[in-house]
Amino acid sequence: MAFKIGFGQYIAADSPVHKLDPRTKLICSLAFMIAAFSVKTPSQLIFAAFACGALLMASKVPARAVMRSMQPVLVVLALLGLFNLFFVQTGPALLLVGPMRITTDGLWAAVLYVTRFAVAIVAGTLIMLTTTPTALSDAFDVLLSPLSRVGLPGHEVAMVLSLMLRFIPTLADDATAISEAQRARGASLSSGSLRRRAHATKALLISLLASALRHANNLSRALDARCYAGDAARTHLHPLRFTYRDAAATITLCVYVVVLTMLR
Amino acid sequence: MLATTPPIRDGSSAPLLSISHVTLVYDENSQEATCALDDVSLDVCQGKRLCIVGANGSGKSTLASVLCGLIAPDAGNVRLLDYDVCRDGKPDLEAYRLARRGIGLVFQNPEDQIVTRIVADDVAFGPENLGVQPHEIKRRVRQELHRMALDGFAQADPQRLSGGEQQRVAIAGALAMEPEVLVLDEPGALLDARGRQRIMQTMDELRRAGIAVVHVTHFMEEALSADRVIVLEKGRIVLEGTPDEVFSHRKALAAARLEQPFIARLCARLSADGLDLHWTCDQSELTTQLATIAAAHGKPLTKLRARPHVPPTTLKSPISRPLASTWETEAALSAATSPLISIRHVSFSYGSKGAAFALEDISLEIPAGDNLAIIGQNGSGKSTLLRLICALDMPDKGQILVDGLDTNHRGRRRKEREALAQARTRVGYVTQRPERQLFADSVEEDVAFGPTNQGLSRQELGDRVDGALELCGLLDKRFCSPFELSGGQQRMVAIAGVLAMHPQVLVLDEPTAGLDHASRTQLHALLAGLNKSGITIVQATHSMDDAARAKHVMVLDRSHVLAQGVPSKVFRRSTKDRLVACGLNLPQTVLFAEVLEASGAIAPGSLGNPLSLDELAGAIEKGLGLLPGSSERGEDEATWRSK
Repeated sequence: MAFKIGFGQYIAADSPVHKLDPRTKLICSLAFMIAAFSVKTPSQLIFAAFACGALLMASKVPARAVMRSMQPVLVVLALLGLFNLFFVQTGPALLLVGPMRITTDGLWAAVLYVTRFAVAIVAGTLIMLTTTPTALSDAFDVLLSPLSRVGLPGHEVAMVLSLMLRFIPTLADDATAISEAQRARGASLSSGSLRRRAHATKALLISLLASALRHANNLSRALDARCYAGDAARTHLHPLRFTYRDAAATITLCVYVVVLTMLR
Repeated sequence: MLATTPPIRDGSSAPLLSISHVTLVYDENSQEATCALDDVSLDVCQGKRLCIVGANGSGKSTLASVLCGLIAPDAGNVRLLDYDVCRDGKPDLEAYRLARRGIGLVFQNPEDQIVTRIVADDVAFGPENLGVQPHEIKRRVRQELHRMALDGFAQADPQRLSGGEQQRVAIAGALAMEPEVLVLDEPGALLDARGRQRIMQTMDELRRAGIAVVHVTHFMEEALSADRVIVLEKGRIVLEGTPDEVFSHRKALAAARLEQPFIARLCARLSADGLDLHWTCDQSELTTQLATIAAAHGKPLTKLRARPHVPPTTLKSPISRPLASTWETEAALSAATSPLISIRHVSFSYGSKGAAFALEDISLEIPAGDNLAIIGQNGSGKSTLLRLICALDMPDKGQILVDGLDTNHRGRRRKEREALAQARTRVGYVTQRPERQLFADSVEEDVAFGPTNQGLSRQELGDRVDGALELCGLLDKRFCSPFELSGGQQRMVAIAGVLAMHPQVLVLDEPTAGLDHASRTQLHALLAGLNKSGITIVQATHSMDDAARAKHVMVLDRSHVLAQGVPSKVFRRSTKDRLVACGLNLPQTVLFAEVLEASGAIAPGSLGNPLSLDELAGAIEKGLGLLPGSSERGEDEATWRSK
């Protein structure tokens, strides 16, 4: 069809990052992200960015794929930078643009916030790009399993997340096809009177909802036919197993965090 | 054999699936209770292929669901794989759960059956649910991907595969659970010819492997190779037996809104003309019989009578009264200024620069009043070309003129937007599976959506809606919710919504895909009638037989035009190899002519390239020396792209 969403699509490769247990990846990247947000000094920032680059190299995922996956967030990053640049008014002035004053503190804040946010996002994106959806949901499943003891459906949450990722492109394709069909019938979401636009929007939303329900109906038939029954005694094509790689990754991460906190 | 006789148990082995006196009612308590299954009894035996045929809404899919243990009936007994899952309408849920482990299901929409984004993981999903050990899952995944010829796709993203490949992934996923019975619910309905053929081969392989197959279909030709055929009509089994037995009941089939397979229709037609033939639906048997007649050549058949030139199967135009007068004159006016659509050296690619071309250097002129069929396998660029004609996208290079209006701008400026809007009012676009865009509370309101956007007066609007509903045979459904209609009716509503805009050109993307015989016939009649009254028709289709009815055919292959011309020039035996090479074929009439000549029954070359059943029957009668023949044919070729 017209376009395929490449967002967060797994990219097969033979790298140490790909071979890690998804649980290790999830926990380590969480720690990595938290560490990134604790960065405060320039030397820490350089070290974190460097570590992020190293991680990217180790994963053997092309930088272009990472950029493509991050595209939706880039706008947010840019806004974040501009906000800090213009609204932090402490410190000596660097530049005066009309009524706006850009200060050294503002510039530093812009660089700091944008970089550490970007580092965190790259880490998160890498998880998606180097882990199959099945492995990811298995890992969620295990990590959320303590929740089922207090009555929360950990496994189901993981399954729903993975199905959601699977069906986003399908629904996006449907949306394109339906909106084209309605555009060909003179519907316009971007021009005409407010009433006509509202009518066109309603037409699109209702048919999209109907199509989502159709998918859901078919999917439930497929899941039943394939004997899916919640968390009842499933086995796995790739059972989760910790290896020496996971230990190595965890130790590396610990060293990274210790060095990061020691840097001033 | 009619359903009144008890079914024959074959062999001594007990049937794998057995249902008796099963009745199932939807919406039992509401006023619109519909009886989906009515006193149905049948058995499924090991290693056999059972075909279930029936029109849309005859209860086929419901029966498939009952057979694979997804729905329990309201009354009757169901025994699945040695589990008595339902007795007198009382389901045993635990038994159902156990029985389902041995029954696989694959249905129409491949994309809805795939749960992950990696092919191998998806095939593994079923065995994982069954608690199979990892090394065994790995073995099964490898084995089933190999069986479905998907070895290289283990790590691929199913979304990027073709529909046919996706459907094979779904079948591999079902087989990896090692079922004793596989239920296939219209597996080929949304696939192209090549994809469907591949599924048929798969079914033969499964039968050889000893797996029982229940195959729900509305392609009669696919039922010919089954061991048993069951015909459903309104939830009841009306015919049951071997394909030969079932398809000989022409009247009962017609009552169930089905048609006979092609060979059976040809045989009946030739017999009606006085040839001494025994009824058959088997190709080789008909060939043998015709060879016998040819051998006794010289003995003229006394019964043979001259046939009126109008064939009895002629489509009756649904347009009884002239179309709304303005519409007709508009169409007639534009006929004066041909061509209506010119496509000049158009190239187009999705995505960024340097991406593969979806279309490359396409040129085409469509005169007003034409009926053009565009054929080509999935991914050849058919849909893209239609979208460009409808001004939904802009060509990267080249130009498309619709009635003199250039579609080549982005509609940023007001003037451009108006030109674009005008081009769009001339072209009506019926997308693939157009029923997906239905949204309104009533059929009437949905059909009025397009004309309302055109800003017509209330009076004009009402006339347009009435006219479109009448054309599409939907007058009695006007206050129904479109979501309550059958699939075929929903498609007609979507088409009515486009017709109500009075387009001069009607562009349709695979309009008959997924429809049963009756709905297909209705649609053919509608399109023929519209074309006759001056509306230009452009349709993309997977059906060579549909394309053979068109005035012109264009063959697309991997973004290029392979050939264009009138059907009799595009579909010739001399072009078969080139068509097959790009995933297409000849219409079945020409194919049978080829088989017949190859068998020696009729002198080579004497049958020509008949494009309809009537032409073929006439040619055979001439070839047998039963009718005075004139075999002058123009031998000029269609314009084929040089390799």
